Amino acid sequence: MMKAPRLRANRYSLMTLEWPQESEPLADWLKAQREKAPALMDEIAIVLKPAPEHPPEEIRLAVETLDQLDLGLMGLTGSPQHRVVADELGLAWLSSNHGPIESESSHEMVASQSPDTALIMQGPIRSGVQIYAKDRDLIVIGQVSEGAEIMADGHVHIYGRCRGRVAAGVSGQVSAEIFCLTFESELVSLAGTYCGSDQIPEELWSARVRVRLDESSQKITFGLMT
Amino acid sequence: MATVVTVTSGKGGVGKTTSSAAIAAGLAQAGHRTVVIDFDVGLRNLDLIMGVERRVVFDFVNVIAGEATLNQALIQDKRLENLSILAASQTKDKDALTEEGVGQVLDELAELGFEYIVCDSPAGIERGATMALHFADHAVIVTNPEVSSVRDSDRILGILQSKSKRAKEGGKVHEHLLITRYDPVRVENGEMLSKEDVCDILAVKLIGVIPESKAVLKASNTGAPVILDQDSDAGLAYSDSVARFLGEDRPMRFVTPRKQGLLSRILGGGD
Ligand SMILES: Nc1ncnc2c1ncn2[C@@H]1O[C@H](COP(=O)(O)OP(=O)(O)O)[C@@H](O)[C@H]1O
Ligand SMILES: [Mg+2]
Repeated sequence: MMKAPRLRANRYSLMTLEWPQESEPLADWLKAQREKAPALMDEIAIVLKPAPEHPPEEIRLAVETLDQLDLGLMGLTGSPQHRVVADELGLAWLSSNHGPIESESSHEMVASQSPDTALIMQGPIRSGVQIYAKDRDLIVIGQVSEGAEIMADGHVHIYGRCRGRVAAGVSGQVSAEIFCLTFESELVSLAGTYCGSDQIPEELWSARVRVRLDESSQKITFGLMT
Repeated sequence: MATVVTVTSGKGGVGKTTSSAAIAAGLAQAGHRTVVIDFDVGLRNLDLIMGVERRVVFDFVNVIAGEATLNQALIQDKRLENLSILAASQTKDKDALTEEGVGQVLDELAELGFEYIVCDSPAGIERGATMALHFADHAVIVTNPEVSSVRDSDRILGILQSKSKRAKEGGKVHEHLLITRYDPVRVENGEMLSKEDVCDILAVKLIGVIPESKAVLKASNTGAPVILDQDSDAGLAYSDSVARFLGEDRPMRFVTPRKQGLLSRILGGGD
């Protein structure tokens, strides 16, 4: 029996690599990032966003650099005049005014309650499961396994042990925070700033932890939840 | 109403088939009419473990395809009157297991009066595995005390609670953890995860710890589920596990290193 292919709207985690005009060399910066958060850099899919002033030749070199570093470059975004470069290099062009696409996959759960209240999920949230609380907070009661990914546009609260990846403020909300009773996350992200478990202060491992973004320094800070 | 018990793990070679045979035989011994089904299409080996490989004429796929009736394909165990086996086929066509077809066979087995339907799931998340998961009322998660196996089990639990029929209908599949190939000496030396570590990572109720045992290989060579060997540690551990599955409270055995005598220590021994 022949099966029909089908098109489904799915939401994937892509990261945008913003590349300013007067940037430090991309290769150096990316290598440093990889050292900081190897797990992240090995798995992410990237969309490169050059500044409008970058000439096509520089973009071509940047794409080569990303390839050499074995990073998953999916396409380009940014100024429309760069679209031809994407076509030429066989990369996808992502127009940046697209809103997030809601997922249909049942393995991925997207909030569908009325806005404002938090999305409440009963754990354990298992490896391979993704949860995204759109436009709201996320509360997980129970554990989050290594390999699970939980995300919210608002705050994330975990009443249990968290070994998975946590992202708060995923659409850029810099005031979003993470609260966790037993904090052992492999990766945290606040408003797009990432940091791996190796950057979590040792004395806070397995502790009751509050994670926020220091707005002036754009750095993730960890503290005891008291 | 028959209860579907799916034995699964995510990873291959951890002891699913060994455990399916033992659990099915244990349920039958406890007086429940039980059938054990091999979902590992193409790789069938439950029939070998059960010692019925010469008696397989029709299999699971034949029944789904309408080439044989269920009664023609069911093999009655010669040792336990409450136990029957439904073998997998040698065919390589994994798509032979359709949701509709599998559902129909399970319904028919319930109508025949079976109380427990034990499904031996293949490794991975291909068709056979997802079908076995789909219909599960209970899942026995078989895990070896090592990180990769535990991680795979965690992933399977996630799939189970989102893709199974019960989950889709808003319910929950009952989860049971079975740790197999447990070697207390290696645990003590830090070469394997302890049962506490595994329980801590997976957060699932533990129904048993089966020791690494030569009795398992012996049993599979003679075609008798190891639970029938009540002189062996693995056989006794499986009996305890089935009793716990049925709600009994039993202390764990064989989870600490055996005290070795001076002589066997000098001879580098033990078995
Ligand atoms: N408790 C145990 N002690 C020793 N060997 C075991 C034990 N459980 C399983 N085995 C062996 O491991 C191998 C894989 O077992 P099997 O039940 O076929 O796993 P699966 O069905 O998960 O692939 C077999 O050779 C079996 O004899
Ligand atoms: Mg098997």
